Amino acid sequence: MKFAYWPGCSVPRQGTPELRITAAAVCDKLGIELEDLSLAPCTGSGILQARDLVYADTLNASTFAMAEDMGLPLMTICSTCQGVFSQARRRLKEKPDYLAQINQTLEEQGMKYSGNLEVKHLLWVLVEDYGLAEVGKAVVRSLKGLRVAPFYGCYLLRPSAALGLDEHPERRTCLESLIEALGAEAVEYRGKTLCCGYPLVGVNDENSAAMVGTHSVEAKEKGADCMVTPCPLCHMNLDGVQPQASEQRETRINMPVLHLTQLIGLALGIDPPDLGFDRHAVPVKSVLAKLGL
Amino acid sequence: MEARLRVRRFDPESGEGARYQSYTLDVPDYATVLEVLLQIREELDDSLALRCSCSSAICGSCAMRINGQARLACKTKVAAVAADGGEIVVEPVGNMPVIKDLVADMDPFWQKVRAVEPWLQPKGPPPEREYLVPHEVMRPLADVMACIMCGSCVSDCTVLETELALGKPYEQTFLAPAALAKAYRFVGDPRDGADAERLLALSRLEGIWDCTRCNFCVEVCPKSVAPMDQILALRRKAIEQGHDEYLGARHTLEFEKTVRESSWL
Amino acid sequence: MVLSHDVLVIGAGLAGMRAALEARRKGVDVAVLSKVHPVRSHSTQAQGGINAALGEDDSWEKHGFDTVKGSDYLGDQDAIEIFVKDAPERVVELEHMGTVFSRRDDGRIAQRPFGGAAFPRTCYVADITGQVLLHVLHEQILQAGVRVYEEWFATSLIVEDGVCRGALAMEIRSGQLQAFSAKVVIMATGGLGRVYEPSTNSLISTGDGQALAYRAGAALMDTEFVQYHPTALRNGILMTEGARGEGGYLLNSKGERFMEKYAPKMIELASRDVVSRAEQTELDEGRGVNGFILLDLRHLGREKILERLPQIHELAMDIAGVDAIDEPIPIRPAMHYFMGGIKTDVHGATLLPGLYAAGECACVTVHGANRLGGNSLLETIVFGRRSGVAAAEHVDGVLAANVSEALVSQEGGRIKAVLDRSDSGDSVARIRMEMGQTMNRYVGMFRDEKGLQKAVAKLAELKERYKRVGVHDRSRVFNTSLLFHLELGNMLDLAEAMALAALHRKESRGAQFRRDFPQRDDEEWLKHVLVRYSPEGPSLDYSPVAITRWQPERRVY
Repeated sequence: MKFAYWPGCSVPRQGTPELRITAAAVCDKLGIELEDLSLAPCTGSGILQARDLVYADTLNASTFAMAEDMGLPLMTICSTCQGVFSQARRRLKEKPDYLAQINQTLEEQGMKYSGNLEVKHLLWVLVEDYGLAEVGKAVVRSLKGLRVAPFYGCYLLRPSAALGLDEHPERRTCLESLIEALGAEAVEYRGKTLCCGYPLVGVNDENSAAMVGTHSVEAKEKGADCMVTPCPLCHMNLDGVQPQASEQRETRINMPVLHLTQLIGLALGIDPPDLGFDRHAVPVKSVLAKLGL
Repeated sequence: MEARLRVRRFDPESGEGARYQSYTLDVPDYATVLEVLLQIREELDDSLALRCSCSSAICGSCAMRINGQARLACKTKVAAVAADGGEIVVEPVGNMPVIKDLVADMDPFWQKVRAVEPWLQPKGPPPEREYLVPHEVMRPLADVMACIMCGSCVSDCTVLETELALGKPYEQTFLAPAALAKAYRFVGDPRDGADAERLLALSRLEGIWDCTRCNFCVEVCPKSVAPMDQILALRRKAIEQGHDEYLGARHTLEFEKTVRESSWL
Repeated sequence: MVLSHDVLVIGAGLAGMRAALEARRKGVDVAVLSKVHPVRSHSTQAQGGINAALGEDDSWEKHGFDTVKGSDYLGDQDAIEIFVKDAPERVVELEHMGTVFSRRDDGRIAQRPFGGAAFPRTCYVADITGQVLLHVLHEQILQAGVRVYEEWFATSLIVEDGVCRGALAMEIRSGQLQAFSAKVVIMATGGLGRVYEPSTNSLISTGDGQALAYRAGAALMDTEFVQYHPTALRNGILMTEGARGEGGYLLNSKGERFMEKYAPKMIELASRDVVSRAEQTELDEGRGVNGFILLDLRHLGREKILERLPQIHELAMDIAGVDAIDEPIPIRPAMHYFMGGIKTDVHGATLLPGLYAAGECACVTVHGANRLGGNSLLETIVFGRRSGVAAAEHVDGVLAANVSEALVSQEGGRIKAVLDRSDSGDSVARIRMEMGQTMNRYVGMFRDEKGLQKAVAKLAELKERYKRVGVHDRSRVFNTSLLFHLELGNMLDLAEAMALAALHRKESRGAQFRRDFPQRDDEEWLKHVLVRYSPEGPSLDYSPVAITRWQPERRVY
C-alpha cells in the first residue's frame, strides 16, 4: 500500500525527531510506501483555526490537493494533524460553496481539491486497511508481558462526527487492539481518552503539568509499564513535562511514554538504539528490561 | 428488554458516603435512561432522587453522567448505551457538588454564568420599533441560545476537573464552556454595545485562553451548541479588537506568524 | 422566622418572571419562588411563537377578531382588546431585551402563519421561541437582581380575614417549611397537563397554583375547557403548530389531506380544537396508520426544515425514529393546554383579595373556549406585566401582615401525617395514571353525560384512595416522592372541578364537544362557569361574558 505522507510540522521535527525516524522504519518493515509531502504547510494545529479559519482551511485544502495530485490517500502520524485534517475535510465536504471559494485561491497556484480525499492516521491504516492479523504476522519480538496504557489524544477522538467514529466504531478502541496485536496487554484506565494538557503550555503550566501527572499516575496505579500515544504533542507533554508533574506532586512518577511507532518498532524487531529512546525525558530502561533487552 | 443499571447513591442524611446500587428490570425496547429511572422509582425504589421535567431535551433538568459521559437521560436510549445488555453506570454530573443521588448542586455553574454578565447591554436607547438586524446574523445566535443550561459541558470540562483536583475553590476556577458560550452570544450580537468590556474581562485568567481545546464540551453537548467553537470565536474577536497582551493571545499570534512565513500563502 | 417581601411571585416561568421584572422596575421588594430553577419552567417547551399585529397589513382588530372567533365567542372581549392592542409593544420590548427573533429580508421581525389566524402574525425564533424567551427573561431577572427562591414548593396560601397574606413553602433541598409574608401574592404556576394521560406537558405541570388558589377561596373559571394539541408524538412530546404554519400537511391512511373536509378554508391551519377532533374522528373511523395520523413535511425540503424546524426534526428522529426530510411523522392529539384557571380581571386580580394570577394558571379570559397558537406566550407577557404593575400599586395601600409561625407547624403536621402513613398497597403513580386515563377518556375531546358521570364517580373514588396512600421515601432532603404526593392532591381537586364543569355545561363550544349536546347554545350558555371550593364539595356559579365589538357568529374554518 502507498500513501501521500504528511509527517507533521516543525514541532515534532525539532521536539520529537524520534517519531519521524521510527515511523519511516516501521512503514519500511511493513511494506507501506510513503510519498513525502514535507513541503506541505502546517495544519494549523487548531490554533490557526481560531485566528483565521478560511486561511487555515485553504492551507489544508492545498495539502489535500497535493495528495490528490499524487493520486494517493493521505496518511498522518499525529493525532492532532489527523483531527485538524478531519475537521477541515468535513467542512469542505459539507459546504460545496465554501470548497469552491477555497479552490479559487488554490487555482491561482495551479492546485485544486475535489473534496473527496481519504485521510487516515497510521494507526487507523494498520487496524482498518493493513489488518491486525497481518501486523501480528510481522511481529518478531512479541511484547508479551508488557502492560501498556493507551493514550489517544483528544484530536483523534473528538468531535466524533468529524472523525467518522459512528461509521468506524472500531476507531474508539483501535489503540488497544493494536497493542494486543503486538502481544502486549492494554491497561484499562480513565485517562486514555482525556487531554494531556499540551495546548496549555506557556498559558497555564500549572494545569498542564497537573494533567500530565493525573494520567501518568493513574496509568501507574493500574499497573502499566508504560504509556503509548499516537500524537507527538501528547508525547511532548506526557514525557517532556513529566518531570514538572513529578515536582508538582512531590513524588517520582517515572512512567515511560512511547510513541506508537516506537512500540510497533520494538515488536517488529528494530533494535532499541535505532528507536530514539535517548531523546526522552523519562527513561525507557524499565520497559526494555521487561522485554529482556 | 432487560435493563441493568448501576446507580451512584448518596444520602446526606445517612452520615455515610456514596455507594453504588444495582437495579435490574424489564423495560420497553425504545426506553430512555430517564424512563428506566422513573420506572425504578415507581416499581423498586422511590427514594432515588433525580431531577427531570420535560422529557424532551429542552428543559435541561436531567443531565447526568451515563457510562462516564455527561448526557441528558431523557435523550439517551438504553439500547444505545448498554452494549449487549451490559450494565449502565449512572452518576450525577461531574465537577459539581452532589446534594443527593443524581441531584447535583448547580450553584457553581450559575455563579460562572452570572460572572459573564449574561444580559444584553445596548449602547444608548433602543429604537422605536425593533432593531433592524439581518437574519443571517440572528439565526446563528439562535443556535448558541439553543443552550439549555443543562451543565453537561461543565460536567465534563477537562480544565475545570483539573483545577478542582488541584484544590482550587470554584470562584477561582475556569469559567467553563457554558458561561463562555453565553458570553459569545452577546459579543456576536450587534445590538450589544459592551464588546470591549466583555472581551477584556474574558481575556483574563480563567477565561477564554484557559481552554485546553479538548473538545469534550462539543462532544457532550446535547443541543449541538459546540461551546468550544464559541470560545475560539471569542479568541478571534479578542485579538481582532486588540486584546492581545495575554499569554494565550501572544502565543496564537506568534504561531500564526511562523505559519504565514513558512507557507506558500 | 418568617420571610417577608412586598410581592411574592409563585412560579418562575414567563408570566412569573415578567411580573417580577415589572414589579422590580416599579421599585417594590419582589421575590420569586419556584419549585424548579427558572429556566426549567414549562414555558421552555413552547416551540412555535408569539403573536402580535406588527405587520403593515395587520391590525389589532384583526388579531382581536381571530382571538374571539378562536375562543368560540366565550372570550371576554374587554380583556381581548387590551391583549391584542398591547401585543406589538410587548413583543418589540422582548426584542429590545435581546430576543433573537428570526428576521425578514428587511431586518424586521419575521412572522409565520399559525392556526386560526387570518394573517401571519406569529413571531418566532426557529422553533425554540419559548426557550429563548424564557432565557432572555431570566437574563433580565439576573440583571435586575431579583431574589429567586429556587427549588421551593408552595404548599398552601396563607389567608387571614379573607385576605391572602402570603404562603407556606417547603425548601426542597432541606425539606424545611417556611412561612412567607407578602402584601401581594402573584400566582404564575402554569398549566396542569399531568391531570391527563397522555399530555404534552412536563412532569411539573401539576396545577399547583390553581389548586392553592382554589382551596384558599379564589374561584376557578372555565375549567371544562382543555385543549388537545393536534400533533404530538407517541409519548406526548409536542410537534409545533409551526410545522403546519410552514406548510406541513396532515394525511390519513389514504394519503388524503382530510382537513379539507372539516375546514375547507383553513385546512391544516384551522383552530386546534377543530383539527384535533378531525384527527380523532379519522382515527376512530379506521383511517389512521397504526393508530396515528401522518404529519408530512417532506415537500418543504431539507433546507427549510433544518432552518425553521430544527428541534422537531431532531425530536422526530429521537422519539419516532423518523427523518422528517424523508418520511412523514406519526402523530396524534394529546392534551396540551388549560384554557380555564383562576378567575382574574384585566389587571390579574383574583376574587381573593391580595392574590393575583397570570399566565396559564389564570383565566382572564382571552382564550375563552379555545386558545389560538401563539396567544399563550403573548398572554404570559401581557398579563404577567400587568399583574406586576397592579401588584406594585396594590402594595402601597397594604400593611405588612403578621403571619403566625404556628402555621408552619400546622402545615408540618399535615405533611408529617402523609409521611407517617403505612403502606396501603396503593401508589401515587397508580392513582395519577388512573386519573389521567379517566380524564382523557371521559373529559377529553368527545364527551357525554354518561362518560362525565363516570369520571366524576371515579374521581371521587380516587380522592378517597388518595387520603390513604402514602410514600415509601421518608427522607427530608429532596424527597421527590413527597412532592409527587402533594402534587397529586392538587391535581385531584382540579380534575374534579374540570369534570363537574364539563358535566354542567350542556352544550358544545370550542374545545368542549358533547355528543349529547353537539350544538353551540348562545342563548343558554354564553356565560362562564365558576367553581368554588368548599369542604363539603365544589359549588358552581356563573359569570357573564364581556362583549364589546364582536357579536357571536357561526364558527367555521
